[in-house]
Amino acid sequence: MEGLSSKGVLSHLSVLAVQTKSRRNPPQQSTRVKELKAEAEALMMRREQLKAEIQTHKSLQRMRLSMDKGEEEMDEDSENSQLLQLMAKHSQLKDLLYAHHLIGGYDIIKTSLGKGVCVSVTTAYEGVYLDTYNLEIDLKPVLRITRHNVPPFIPLNELAEQNNIQTNIKAFLDVLSQHLNAHAGRKQQLKLVKERFPSVDVMESNVLCSILVLMFTVPRQKTAVLCTLNYSDHTRCLPTTVHIQCEGRTVSTDNQGPPSTVYNPRLCVMSMLSIRTLKHNKFKCPSFIY
Amino acid sequence: MDDPSQRLLRRLLRRIPAGNLKTTLEKWGRLTAAQWRTIDFTQTKSSIVQMLAFCAENEFTMKHITELEMMYVIDNPNKGMWYAFQLIDPEADSQSLELTQFKEQFKSHLCELVRNVSVKIKKHTDEAVWIRIAWGDSYSRPNHLKPTYIVHHLQTPYVFVTGLSPKQRPLVSQALVLSSRYHAIKAANLSGRNLTAIRDLLMKQYQQVFPTRFPSPLSERNQSVSNPQIEREHAGHKENRLQMASETFGDGMLPQLQSSVYKLETKFRDRANQTMTEREEPFKCVVKFASTNLLESLKLCVSSGIASTPVTPLLSSIPLKGRNYFVITDNGPAPSSQMPLSQN
Repeated sequence: MEGLSSKGVLSHLSVLAVQTKSRRNPPQQSTRVKELKAEAEALMMRREQLKAEIQTHKSLQRMRLSMDKGEEEMDEDSENSQLLQLMAKHSQLKDLLYAHHLIGGYDIIKTSLGKGVCVSVTTAYEGVYLDTYNLEIDLKPVLRITRHNVPPFIPLNELAEQNNIQTNIKAFLDVLSQHLNAHAGRKQQLKLVKERFPSVDVMESNVLCSILVLMFTVPRQKTAVLCTLNYSDHTRCLPTTVHIQCEGRTVSTDNQGPPSTVYNPRLCVMSMLSIRTLKHNKFKCPSFIY
Repeated sequence: MDDPSQRLLRRLLRRIPAGNLKTTLEKWGRLTAAQWRTIDFTQTKSSIVQMLAFCAENEFTMKHITELEMMYVIDNPNKGMWYAFQLIDPEADSQSLELTQFKEQFKSHLCELVRNVSVKIKKHTDEAVWIRIAWGDSYSRPNHLKPTYIVHHLQTPYVFVTGLSPKQRPLVSQALVLSSRYHAIKAANLSGRNLTAIRDLLMKQYQQVFPTRFPSPLSERNQSVSNPQIEREHAGHKENRLQMASETFGDGMLPQLQSSVYKLETKFRDRANQTMTEREEPFKCVVKFASTNLLESLKLCVSSGIASTPVTPLLSSIPLKGRNYFVITDNGPAPSSQMPLSQN
């Protein structure tokens, strides 16, 4: 014993230290186990959650499929079926919106031979749908307009070149749509003037409807007025210059002027086309002629 | 009334069918009410004699008679052969050309080229500008019996011409190019007796069919019931053929073309005929399709399966490019340079 103590007090101490250390360890280990168990539980819960999500997603997809095919299918046993259906509808709409953004809002479909696409550009004026124009465009090797029903006074090829159809088809379609809509609008205006105002004589017009000469008499004064509308900007359905002649007096106005002037071409056209504008206090039809 | 105008009037009155005579003269509106009452329109011969007398009485000049002629031709344009031309390479301001400017410039440009020429320009209700030219030369007065008629829609590159001789063609071309603000003009290789048809074809005014995502009205319209089994088998193919035919040629009333001419300048190929096949130079021949309504016939060929689908470019080029005269060489259909332009 003595020998032992004399031999290694230090080693004994170290043995004791190890012993105390090991005695202190078991409670430490148990906390670790607890921690791990909690973590495992959390993970299990997450797994359940994910499983549920997958389930939901699967049923959503099933619903989307049946919805895309056009079938209306009610999943009776699922209590959340209504919510699911709403979600499916939502995702469908989002997809449609995305596709719409991709094609820039034009109605575009594949042609029957599958070589290209057919784009349709609709025109409208004041909420009335007018003609629809179509373009068949081959995609390979380069974009090429193969067939279309755009009238020859719309410079289709020049527009395609100017807007770089190869790299930016959307810009080309936008400009083309502007031209077509403006033309449709001008044509409709002319038609409306002829229909609603039989007393107004259309002295001159052209296929592009870019010039319009009207002759009418002011009701009370009985004076003849010659009104020339010039639409030099072919992408707009409002005239750029209005020229009014009456008994040697001439009033001429440019669209570049301040928008509040009484000779505003926009107001001039609107006044001819809608009675509402005529009631406008600021603007009376006969008064601005003189 | 001088002699030439009397001759023109007599000829014109004979040309106008008896049924149309009254309405045409009414539109002309040059006769007085008293004269109008005395003309007996049931008797063609006597009405012509009366008309001649009245026109002499009213001292009508050539101007009045050509006015009547123009009115009649505008209303009945399908009497001669019309040739289409295309103005190319527009100047910047060609889109904003006005009728009055065009009128003045065309007249002055033409009169600079030919001394004795009589030009009359009139705008029709459909925005078309009609030009009547009576030609003369340095020593003779304009011959009103053989006028040239030109129809042009301002702001479009197309011009339709009838009664133009090859000698006068460069003169008309130059005047047209200069006054419509373009740089050149070329034959569009399209001709026909029906002016509206060739105009509609080039101006894309006929009903074209494009692929749509909606159920096609074509298939609905062409339903017929017989053996349902066979029908089902055939329906798909049939519908496809019809769709192709409509996409190629259009729908509804197709422009009435009378013919399509293919001038072949290709090598003769036939294994059975060695002598011809070995010949170096191309075998020249002309193939002509003729019909009262060519596009309708071709469409029927395609939709009934007589012609194969997809439609060969040789046929689809007629509506697509708006031409009915093709020169075909071994390198494919080449743009024909020489356009037969004859006087009718």
